[in-house]
Amino acid sequence: MIEVNFRIRDGKDFVELSGGFPEDATVLDALETLRARAEGAAPAARVPHYRHSCHHGSCGTCGAVVNGLPSLMCLSRLSDLAAPRPREPGGPAVEPSHGPSGELVVTLEPLTRGSLVAGIAARPTSALEGIPEEYSYLRPSEDAGRASLPADPTRDGEKLPALDGAVSPPLSGRVRFEACIECGLCSAACPVTAPFLGPAALAAVNRHREKAPESAESMLALAAGADGAPACERHLHCSRVCPQAVYPGKHIQLLRKALAGRAQ
Amino acid sequence: MFDPPIPGRHDVRICVVGGGGSGAALAYDLALRGFSVLLLEKGEFTSGTTGRHHGQLHSGARYAVGDRAIARECMEETLVLRRIVPEAIEYNGGIFAAIRDDEADYAPAFVSACLESGIPAREIPVTEARALEPVLNPALKRAVWVPDGTLDAYRLAASFLAAAAALGADLRAFTELVGIEVSDGRIRGGTVRGPDAREERVSFDVLVSATGAWAGRVGSLAGLDIPVTPAPGTMVAVRGRLSDLVLSRLAPPGDGDILVPQRGLSIIGSTQSRADSPEGILPTRAEIEFLRVRADELAPGFSRAPFHAAWAAARPLAGRAASDAEGRGISRDFAVLDHGAEGVSGMFTLIGGKATVLRAMARKAADAVCGFLDVEEPCRTADYPLPSWRAL
Ligand SMILES: Cc1cc2nc3c(=O)[nH]c(=O)nc-3n(C[C@H](O)[C@H](O)[C@H](O)COP(=O)(O)OP(=O)(O)OC[C@H]3O[C@@H](n4cnc5c(N)ncnc54)[C@H](O)[C@@H]3O)c2cc1C
Ligand code: SF4
Ligand code: FES
Repeated sequence: MIEVNFRIRDGKDFVELSGGFPEDATVLDALETLRARAEGAAPAARVPHYRHSCHHGSCGTCGAVVNGLPSLMCLSRLSDLAAPRPREPGGPAVEPSHGPSGELVVTLEPLTRGSLVAGIAARPTSALEGIPEEYSYLRPSEDAGRASLPADPTRDGEKLPALDGAVSPPLSGRVRFEACIECGLCSAACPVTAPFLGPAALAAVNRHREKAPESAESMLALAAGADGAPACERHLHCSRVCPQAVYPGKHIQLLRKALAGRAQ
Repeated sequence: MFDPPIPGRHDVRICVVGGGGSGAALAYDLALRGFSVLLLEKGEFTSGTTGRHHGQLHSGARYAVGDRAIARECMEETLVLRRIVPEAIEYNGGIFAAIRDDEADYAPAFVSACLESGIPAREIPVTEARALEPVLNPALKRAVWVPDGTLDAYRLAASFLAAAAALGADLRAFTELVGIEVSDGRIRGGTVRGPDAREERVSFDVLVSATGAWAGRVGSLAGLDIPVTPAPGTMVAVRGRLSDLVLSRLAPPGDGDILVPQRGLSIIGSTQSRADSPEGILPTRAEIEFLRVRADELAPGFSRAPFHAAWAAARPLAGRAASDAEGRGISRDFAVLDHGAEGVSGMFTLIGGKATVLRAMARKAADAVCGFLDVEEPCRTADYPLPSWRAL
């Protein structure tokens, strides 16, 4: 067990809530436990609002600034927070803070650049606004030399007539979702203050350029804007905090290269 | 551009409680039928059972031997979802794998039940199955291909919410229904607590509770006795996409018998127990260990892959189950309860089912609402591709 004092931002104040939790519990597990415990309690004892859905790093809703670092609360284990960890994106690892009786202090704040609902619940709306509408969330799966999919009567056009305006035709080979879970941690970590589409949107622009060569020109036009790749100052904090190894910084670099190639 | 026609508007205000998949699909269905919709969700949208389910797009094969009607409905709904919300589905098919002799013996009954349910299942040679997914246990005795797939639990539901919002539905997250007002046996409105903790009275003519494992609590706000026991199930994810096809045991539904790939993860599930409250449910060490062992039987090596996460979600179990064993037998069907006969006319509860059939669940509930209001409006939710969840 590990004793934790959570300091959770609620407007101008912090709500402090303590408890003992298993070491392998995540910050989200702990908040859920505290919330269940406070059921029916007076409003002052309630856990400030937070976002969550999948509890395994797939939906992208549970982003928060955990001890200074934009993180997914469902993947942040208390044992990791008890070890040295950077206090800001790209910063050096720092010893954790402890309270007077040795309890671990964990500070939770809403994602910066998000639209705040209440407590630490902030939606990364602006981080996702620049994702092109035509960008498909599906991509071919790494088939690693496996046999191609067998005949499938449900792919028959009669069973599956296309609807007008469908976003993307379902691919026929092995497919999977893109890695980006649209959590907005990258934008929260990004120090750029000028108008900027942001790392996640530019990563999507580059992915779409790679997957749909016919849109390469329109994607490069997006990337070339003043709020596109040129706004990036190469801090690379986006790639450091991304929980899905999307490496948005690398995608921005690829866009820059393609733009430079086009200019020649 | 998502812009479906709304033939006629009805001057009726309908409150949907619960922002999980069922409430999301219902809000969209009702808005498309021209009703004014208010949706209340006490946490973030999909923070109940919906976001946390296993993520299998069920062809219905799993249920075919037990219940052809449920299986047929799953098959029909998977085809609809693959058309209206293709971006929230990794569709690669699935394999039911017989590892033990008794499982091999189950194959003929399984395949014929699927075919009788409209599911084009077919036995494939063991060599073909292992060429498709080499991760399958080399002890594989027989294999059946089925049209299963993977859902993005959050994005499926969020796409329905985005559609409802585009049609003018008033969707309120972090807003809890804390009181229900009934007079002369009819629903009149309720009290809601908003994100800032302030309470407010809202009026509506019809209330549909789509609150899953919370349905008993919401019912009690209107003095109703809706016996529901939260029945948590655990899932474990490891890093590495072991397969593209969904892998299941060729056996009657049991625990730890489905391996669902999703993005770069492989997820084994699930288990079933009982809980007093649907809040704060966490997996136990024993469940996690059990699931890892079971996963290795399907795909040896699962337990050696890096551990990613373990979590639990609560099924709403109809009745007050006295034992876990009793709970396992429950049907995967859903029901629309009309509380008129209990003295709360205009209130309904939509409960049970699967994420895969959320649209069919919504249709049945919206049909019941239309019947109650004596309005004729067909369901049209299969006709239009949904807008992106990002529009939510
Ligand atoms: C372990 C497990 C695995 C599963 N796997 C699959 C699968 O692979 N495929 C599949 O198709 N299905 C699966 N299911 C089933 C699926 O998860 C459910 O059918 C579906 O999520 C139910 O959605 P719902 O909207 O009815 O309930 P919920 O998602 O629970 O929504 C109810 C909502 O009501 C809200 N609420 C409660 N009280 C109030 C109030 N007073 N005011 C406002 N809001 C309130 C809650 O916060 C909650 O968000 C699984 C279920 C479990 C438990
Ligand atoms: S790029 Fe990474 S950090 Fe940014 S939104 Fe996508 S998953 Fe999140
Ligand atoms: S809850 Fe889905 S990413 Fe954390």
